[in-house]
Amino acid sequence: MSAKPELILREVIPFVLGLAALLLATLLTDALLHLVDAVWIGRYLGIPGVLLILASFGHSLRKRGILKSGNPVLLLRLHEGLAWTGSLLVLVHAGIHFNAVLAWLAVVAMLINIASGLTGKYLLRRAQTRLKAARTELKAEGVSDLEVSARLHNDSLTVDVMRTWRKVHLPIALVFGILALAHISAIFVLWGWK
Amino acid sequence: MTPRWVWLSIGVGLAAIIALIFVFPHQMVSPGDLKPAHAALQQNCLACHAPLAGASTERCVACHTVADIGRRTTLGELIKRPVARPPFHQTLILQDCMACHTDHPRPRLTRNLVRSFDHALLKPQARAACSTCHSAPRTDFHRGAPLPCSQCHSVQAWKPATFDHSRYFALSGPHDASCSTCHVGGNTRAFTCYGCHAHQQGQIEAEHREEGIRNIQNCVRCHRSADGERGEGGQGRERDD
Repeated sequence: MSAKPELILREVIPFVLGLAALLLATLLTDALLHLVDAVWIGRYLGIPGVLLILASFGHSLRKRGILKSGNPVLLLRLHEGLAWTGSLLVLVHAGIHFNAVLAWLAVVAMLINIASGLTGKYLLRRAQTRLKAARTELKAEGVSDLEVSARLHNDSLTVDVMRTWRKVHLPIALVFGILALAHISAIFVLWGWK
Repeated sequence: MTPRWVWLSIGVGLAAIIALIFVFPHQMVSPGDLKPAHAALQQNCLACHAPLAGASTERCVACHTVADIGRRTTLGELIKRPVARPPFHQTLILQDCMACHTDHPRPRLTRNLVRSFDHALLKPQARAACSTCHSAPRTDFHRGAPLPCSQCHSVQAWKPATFDHSRYFALSGPHDASCSTCHVGGNTRAFTCYGCHAHQQGQIEAEHREEGIRNIQNCVRCHRSADGERGEGGQGRERDD
């Protein structure tokens, strides 16, 4: 027995929907701004977007013991909500205007970061649970350990890839942070804040 | 635990990106190409931008002398331009180039931030002298027109003009004629009602005389339309006796 079809149905689709919801919300917000002829507002949405993303770091600090207090579950929910909303504002801010490369590199890093974050949220945790359940079920049926490993080989590989992918969340977050900082610095240096 | 080589690759990659910002600032941070005349400045952001202050008027006028804008190029060559677009930057009340200009293409994102030309930006003396920038159209109506432009035109837009002829005489029916029928020689300040076949001077004078009306020099005093609508004489008529 293979857990693959259910893995796609129960884990991959919610993951894709989570990402699609963000992109759809971006398109709707952008369309609304165009509709009311207030596209210029998008120029300033990068500021609250970055502040929300920064505010979401409470979870990361708590997870690494830098923050000593705070409900981890609540902080994780806040991390997900604030980072999602902040990313939405940054995506609307970026719009579909391909100009400066640096800003777009920052957006790409942010999107990779969102994907790796959602991997953790939807895919890895559930895939691990399902793999464990499948293994237990096969063993209960009297299948040998060798046979269980052979049957679940592909799923194990998938989970390993996801685990590795999950590990890039922090480095990519750092890349995004530095690129965003470079973009913001360039704006501070060259833009006229009148 | 993230492997060391991952951190190393990320560090090298980021260092390369940061270096590219300084080598190719235009491609890395600019919102788009400069106008062709400034193409040579594309990799030199600080030619126009003052650090932490944005594009600066001082840096613009270092090359574009205000007295020469619209008259001479930055290389000192005379600019031949149509009479309809005379130089006006010298008469602006403020030197703030960025209020109206941007050298990068203007995406919709910034459209609402840039001001369009406004007559309020002109010094009062220039604002009052329309003919400094505008020429009257060569029409019968405007030829030799002694009225101030503001009587018909506003600074919001040249058209539509607000002149309402019916305030003086309604141009309805057969009176919807060419200007020169009544305003001989393009002089809109004077008019004659004897310019058409129907109004023969002798006949008109005789008809009025029969009614005891002798002061008929200014027809519109009593007649404001073909229907004989009342002017100040009442019922289109005024008796002298």
